[in-house]
Amino acid sequence: MKKHIYLIAAFLGLGVGISQAQVQKGSVLIKNATVLTVTKGNLESSDVLVQNGIIIQLGKNLTAPAGVNTIDASGKYLMPGIIDAHSHVGLDVVNEASAPITSEIRMKDVVNPTDMGIYRALAGGVTVSHAMHGSANVVGGQNATLKHRWGSMDPADIIMQDAPRTIKFALGENPTRVHGRGNGIQPRSRMGVEAVIRNGFNEAIQYKKAWETYQLAKNQKGNTTPPPAYSERLQTLADILDGKIIIHCHSYRADEIYMLINVIKDFNIKKVVFQHTNEGFKVAPEIAEYTMGASVFADWWAYKMEVYYSTAFNAAILQKNGALTSINSDSAELIRHLYHEAAKTQRYGGLTDEEALAMITINPAKQLGIEDKVGSIEVGKQADLVIFEGHPLSSYAVPQMTFVDGVKYFDIKKDNNDQRQWVAATEMVEPIFLRANEEAHRCMQDVDAYFEAFQGAFLKEKH
Amino acid sequence: MNKQFLKAGMLGLLVAGWLSQAAMAQSDPTGKRRVTSTYAITNATVFKAPGDPGSKATILIKDGVILGVGSSLSLPKEAKIIAGDSLYVYPGFIDGAGNMGITKPKDVERPKDFVSSNPADEIAGITPWRSASDAYAAVSTQIDDWRKAGFTLSQVVPDGGMLPGKTALVLLGDGKANNFLKLNAALAANYRSSRGMYPATLAGVMAKFRDIYQNTTLVLEHERLFTFTSGVKRPQATPTQTAMMPVVQKQLPVLFAAGSELEIRRALALQKELGFKMILTGLENYESVIGAIKSSGTPVLIKLQVPDDKSIKAQKAEGVTEATKAQYARVKESYDKALKQAAQLEKAGILFGFSTVDAKAADVQKTLKAMMDNGLSQKAAFAALTTNPAAILGVSGLVGTIEKGKLANLVLTTDTLFKEETQIKHVIADGYVFDYEIKKKAVKAETSAKPETASNAVQVEGVWEYTSETPAGSSGGEITLKRENGALGGTITYDDPTGSGKASAPIKNASLTGKTISFEFDVAAGGMSLTVTISGEINGKNMDGSLSVPQMGSFPVKATLSSPSQAN
Amino acid sequence: MNRMYKTFCALLLALLPVVAMAQIDGEFVKPRNGKFLLKNATVVTVTKGTLANTSVLLENGKISKVGTNLSSDGAEVIDCTGLFIYPGIIDGGTRLGLVEVSSVPETVDYADVGNVTPNMQALTTVNPNSEAIGVTRVSGVTTVLTVPSGGLFPGTAALINLNGYTPDQMYGGFKAVAMIFPSSGRRGRFDRRSDEDVKKDGEKALKEANDIWDNAKSYLELKKSGATLAYFPEMEQLSKVISGELPLLIEVNAASDIQQAIKWVEGKNIKVIFTGVAEGWRVADEIAKAKIPVVTGPVQELPTRSSDRYDAPYANAGLLAKAGVKVALRTDDEENVRNLPFHAAFAAAYGLGKEEALKAVTINPAEIFGVADQYGSVEAGKRANLIVSTGDPFETRSQIMHVFIDGYRIPMSNRHIRLYQEFLERSPGLKAN
Repeated sequence: MKKHIYLIAAFLGLGVGISQAQVQKGSVLIKNATVLTVTKGNLESSDVLVQNGIIIQLGKNLTAPAGVNTIDASGKYLMPGIIDAHSHVGLDVVNEASAPITSEIRMKDVVNPTDMGIYRALAGGVTVSHAMHGSANVVGGQNATLKHRWGSMDPADIIMQDAPRTIKFALGENPTRVHGRGNGIQPRSRMGVEAVIRNGFNEAIQYKKAWETYQLAKNQKGNTTPPPAYSERLQTLADILDGKIIIHCHSYRADEIYMLINVIKDFNIKKVVFQHTNEGFKVAPEIAEYTMGASVFADWWAYKMEVYYSTAFNAAILQKNGALTSINSDSAELIRHLYHEAAKTQRYGGLTDEEALAMITINPAKQLGIEDKVGSIEVGKQADLVIFEGHPLSSYAVPQMTFVDGVKYFDIKKDNNDQRQWVAATEMVEPIFLRANEEAHRCMQDVDAYFEAFQGAFLKEKH
Repeated sequence: MNKQFLKAGMLGLLVAGWLSQAAMAQSDPTGKRRVTSTYAITNATVFKAPGDPGSKATILIKDGVILGVGSSLSLPKEAKIIAGDSLYVYPGFIDGAGNMGITKPKDVERPKDFVSSNPADEIAGITPWRSASDAYAAVSTQIDDWRKAGFTLSQVVPDGGMLPGKTALVLLGDGKANNFLKLNAALAANYRSSRGMYPATLAGVMAKFRDIYQNTTLVLEHERLFTFTSGVKRPQATPTQTAMMPVVQKQLPVLFAAGSELEIRRALALQKELGFKMILTGLENYESVIGAIKSSGTPVLIKLQVPDDKSIKAQKAEGVTEATKAQYARVKESYDKALKQAAQLEKAGILFGFSTVDAKAADVQKTLKAMMDNGLSQKAAFAALTTNPAAILGVSGLVGTIEKGKLANLVLTTDTLFKEETQIKHVIADGYVFDYEIKKKAVKAETSAKPETASNAVQVEGVWEYTSETPAGSSGGEITLKRENGALGGTITYDDPTGSGKASAPIKNASLTGKTISFEFDVAAGGMSLTVTISGEINGKNMDGSLSVPQMGSFPVKATLSSPSQAN
Repeated sequence: MNRMYKTFCALLLALLPVVAMAQIDGEFVKPRNGKFLLKNATVVTVTKGTLANTSVLLENGKISKVGTNLSSDGAEVIDCTGLFIYPGIIDGGTRLGLVEVSSVPETVDYADVGNVTPNMQALTTVNPNSEAIGVTRVSGVTTVLTVPSGGLFPGTAALINLNGYTPDQMYGGFKAVAMIFPSSGRRGRFDRRSDEDVKKDGEKALKEANDIWDNAKSYLELKKSGATLAYFPEMEQLSKVISGELPLLIEVNAASDIQQAIKWVEGKNIKVIFTGVAEGWRVADEIAKAKIPVVTGPVQELPTRSSDRYDAPYANAGLLAKAGVKVALRTDDEENVRNLPFHAAFAAAYGLGKEEALKAVTINPAEIFGVADQYGSVEAGKRANLIVSTGDPFETRSQIMHVFIDGYRIPMSNRHIRLYQEFLERSPGLKAN
């Protein structure tokens, strides 16, 4: 049976690895919760039945099938597992900062399932994170969508194998600093950023054509066309042009956002999500019309020039202009309280509970192309769920339990402090990391090291 | 494979060497040349292979080959007798992957038009065409040390970047002979990224590996087309692609260095994706990945070392909080797990040998004992030193057991192997006999505890080549030390932090106390000047220590004395 | 909420004379001094309980009366029915006003060159026009301690109110010399010093601190004895700490460092406040016993050790308070000091409790800084620093409706809000023209 599935998967070009991951699926009945479905309103004092990792029934007075645990959630809130559309948690490497285009880089290669950040995110109700390449390059690597199945030592187990491919792009200060100012190659300006992208796509078109020509010629009698060189870099760009990959583009200023919109229009690309997008509010109508929206910070600003003219009302303006909007963390710290970050859209712009919750559930799910699987509490969806004490949008809310595929990975009452998966046999004293926050923002991780350990101390920019 | 054919081929090399020697070197004014290459170890207790309970026998060897093993051999007159009555004889140990005798290749000068996003392969550490044999010196203290520990054969791995080159099998015999048993035994690979250029990270190394592999496949296809069809553009394989071809054609295994569980998983995933033959080496933490190794059928070479017990010994029984006790327990648990790993490999039925990389020859006995105290059977330990690596390296027909026709690689001990008081009296490698002094008293007295002679015995002056591991990757240069008017001084070169190439700085405050050398130098970076301190211990021609940078921390540094100054 | 906001803006416009000038479109709303009667609110005084249907009269920059049935007596009346009055929120540690854009060194003024620079005055460099000030105060944070950093004695911190056109107008009546206590912690992931090196470096740094301290003591003693000493501004400022004129803010975070700092302070007979105190929960009893008040935070922060429970930083303030430590909170931030109420909410939810959390950002910092006679509660006679909100100001869904600082009515606007007003319905929209 398994082999059969494997063969079909291979035939459909889904790649290897699907059948190898031993993903645990759970069954559970959660009773008497205020169920915040996000997509279908709120259900008071209701039950959710999960079997084999899938939500199979919503309603009142449900009974647990034999062998299925019941959890009483009276007085508590149940919401879909939180989805972070921008994270670097669970990655050993963030930036391959050595070239302006590195689309051949796969974050799946460097996933680390033992990163403590994963457990800490679970304790904040986050069940899915988008583990992204950093922002050093105009076209960065291909990202990995992770499901926080804490406890496995196998990266394959925490990679969401059925999520579509996504890739990181980055505009503005970071790529121009790294490549232009750092290494003396394009891009040094935002003009250069556009040129690098257009050059890349045009080369990819030629690359694709060369391969098509070869494939046609190959089986002809007396063929004299040799195979062209292989380039996963260009092949990946070609896949973007073919609509197989969703672009997630690090961006801040309105002008650069608008530039990329023009580029994708020219290349007939539809699948683009803007990340950070601090000045997205200025081009909200364009983002709403031509893209898959924006994934933004709740209130970050002023840490560098291109975010100085930001507003905390960004998410509200985008939302009210019809842009698909999500709130993300880009931080091992913020990821712990995305429910609170989403709640800030109520302070800054007065969004409704449903709109605010959608920004950390169904909206990021749509931007990652996984909205048919997660992001709301609906029958048939994967049972990624969080139980809260207090409404999740209250500043006093405390996540109690977090489930992924119906398996409980976090329980506030059963947290036994030391959750490390791996401890060095030679550890003398556990290291203390003060002001860990400053290092929690990892968009530019590995870039300092890339330049030079000594100089690294002077390169402080982040995000 | 045809065993006889292989053996004949390999030995042909060696025999040719001897013949020429015999023809040319009749006289030896040094008086040191051995008078015979025939030896008989008489009436010893011989353990022919793992599992053999041992029996009395005589072994006759000649010209590096075992001519016979038995009780009624007729010994030729030229046989030099080694009385084996009180000795125990084992097959010579095999190092699955080591770097003894290997020198690091010189850094390639970066050209003026160097582009960090697309460097030449050679600069980026991609040199699969290189061979360890070109970087191998048959005479080195490391080789002496490992031979003394019973090792007679090593797969030496070239030093360098992600694809440093091909390995070679060398016999640890006489330094003057041609010691190569097999060239191009495997292609060495590891996750070493390049400093300041593509591929700069682990992620880049993975992508680059795929790129090289796939393009080599395509060049082969191109070559086929070119061979069979006229009018085809001439294929132009790069040196990298040419060297990768046997890997892609699955004729040559990749010797992939992977220390941690995640590194092992990553190598296994890459192997599964591309389909090359693979041997994993340098395994350090692999407890949770044993199942995956088993199902992949990959042979492994684990590090011949166990974690040091400094932290375990430092744990205090009293006066610590409950929280600290819990921390201790985690470390202890991890430590215990690490010691049990080898036994688990045995249990899982995985073919494994040892790698001497990073291990200390003087600790071999202690390391093996720790593994056996934690469940590894004697038989498995024996096999991991002999028959397993022979099988992994594809030379079972030549080495690994004591049999007629195999190479004369033997270890002669004072008692049965793995006993604490057992000592190695002779090692026979490639038919050459090496004698070792037997210490009368407790074996406990560790060699390192030997009182050193005065510090003037320590050779510091000369040119040292060093490498250091920093968060930016590995870097290195040369340290030139000399004494002037009694004061130690000199210069150091290092990777210029502000650009490419090397910068140089004078050495200040240098001192040598006992075997410990320390000095400082200034690095200018970002408009500031940092004082970097290097200190380390010198052992023979090696220096092991740390490089510390204010505000950044300490990083390991290793150096070797590449050209010692002559004492004046 | 949007409608409520618009109504409020319209209200402000109506109240103000419209200045029409040829080249200037629109009007600027300035902070306004005056006599205000905030009528019929629920007053959360912090120190005197919560009073329903109560009014507060502000005049001459002070809270003149708190009570029912207060007569307006010429005051501008603001109907606060259904609204809540809280004292202005105080952040016990920030870099507000000392930095504008952190990645642009030209705008970063909280650290100068040198290890011992206690004479560097934060108040000197506070930029009253920093965009971050306008962004912060509409959140209800009216007063902050702004602190230099870097080196052993980075400078002198100052309490400032978030209204005024000169630093002197903003000055809140409290200064303290900052000290970064020598640390045995690591500086981050790239700090690869050996355990021994970390310890050695820590000891060396502590010895250096002691030497400098002894130097300052000599300076003070000689000066007291009437000696004529060469100009030495660093020692001059440090001697003020030794003489008790200025308190010492000691930034200390790792548990062993806190213990060391307690020992270091012992017998020095100086006024001390610990700041940071990230691992305070490990040694809370010892801090309580030493009777040293603590300004801790940020609360929304990662644990210091991998093995720590995930919520250690959230729970820290609560555990300190439970042990008997006087606790105030801080963000240790610059542009996002506005999040202090949310940090307080997290501390409240993870053990501190709502009431104590409120104190930790009002009366406690006022007491710790010795300015409780002016700040920290809604009481007659105190400075008119207070906020009017639609509910609990720690809740994101509450809106802060009015902010008063030093009796000035603060315009509820800043660049973030102006950008919202401009871009919510952009014109032209999607299509050109």
